[in-house]
Amino acid sequence: MKRLTGLQKQVLALYGGFLRAARAKAPEERKKIEAIVSEEFHRNAKEVDRKNFIYIEYLLRRGAKQLHQLKSPNTISMFTVPVPSPPSKPLP
Amino acid sequence: MATTNLLRRTITRYSNSLRHHQIRLYASETPNENLKTFSIYRWNPDNSSKPQLQDYQVDLKNCGPMVLDALIKIKNEIDPTLTFRRSCREGICGSCAMNIDGCNGLACLTKIETDDMKTASMITPLPHMFVIKDLVVDMTQFYNQYKSIEPWLKRKTEGSETGKEILQSKKDRAKLDGMYECILCACCTTSCPSYWWNPEKYLGPAALLHAHRTLILCKVVTHTLEPEIIPSPPFLYWWISDSRDEYTTERLDAINDEFKLYRCHTILNCARACPKGLNPGKQIQAIKTKEMMSA
Repeated sequence: MKRLTGLQKQVLALYGGFLRAARAKAPEERKKIEAIVSEEFHRNAKEVDRKNFIYIEYLLRRGAKQLHQLKSPNTISMFTVPVPSPPSKPLP
Repeated sequence: MATTNLLRRTITRYSNSLRHHQIRLYASETPNENLKTFSIYRWNPDNSSKPQLQDYQVDLKNCGPMVLDALIKIKNEIDPTLTFRRSCREGICGSCAMNIDGCNGLACLTKIETDDMKTASMITPLPHMFVIKDLVVDMTQFYNQYKSIEPWLKRKTEGSETGKEILQSKKDRAKLDGMYECILCACCTTSCPSYWWNPEKYLGPAALLHAHRTLILCKVVTHTLEPEIIPSPPFLYWWISDSRDEYTTERLDAINDEFKLYRCHTILNCARACPKGLNPGKQIQAIKTKEMMSA
């Protein structure tokens, strides 16, 4: 197996963190959370250019914040809301 | 005859004013001297482009005097996708802190540079902070550091026996001048080179200023409770009266750290950057003195 870069390790650690945090939730919610998290990670792995470090680091910071929220015992479940794609041109 | 003359005169006058009008129209087509260019940092995480400076031209004749006025005008009239924080537009909320022409400051308190209209004004987010979008930065770290110094009143004993609030004397209140004005805009903290190199470990000028404020606040309150025990020379009671405020030593111990406090090398960029004219470096120096006294 190829050696992982620092950034790849960080991404994997974040993913592992999410799965561990999901373990503390109710079994049904855990399944849902795992599905959402896995979908998000797999989609970004496909779509994001692997050399777009600025964006990957941004996603890592965003993910770390969301993980922090998920870790709180007050958080019991997780939802996603589809976001409409932004207009390609600035409005006149 | 008289009426035709009058008519002719009005016509010529009218045509004269018309010609005047045309000349004015023509004049407005020549390059506008009131146009100012703003180079603004743009980065949107949603499209995968790199950060860049985008130029906008604003006619200063139809614009307020401050940088924030120009930003709002750009967002309203030229590019609604421009993102920045703003709220009070009078320097009391601290939302619009950004780097303007290389200096940290509040956009609502910084005048647009009009001496040199040819060079563009550069507006970037606060330096060494993570950008969320355009001029909006991630303040989580900054707020966590503020939280870590516990900027609230902590008491082991109950309040006054009557159950009323603990009043402050005017003299004690005056001790908080130069600290209570801080609005936590992060201009000082992000201008500090020491903070740039150790943002995780060093608390930064803003948090330390508030650490000193809480130190004094605790003391002020205990003094009002037992005014007769205050020792007469005022410069003495900082450390003499420590026994009455049990948390002062704990607070001092909490920040007595090579990194948390002693990364301040009195560079004093903080005092230069502060839009409220405070001097966080001086307050940090006061904490250091107290650390030495209590040691």
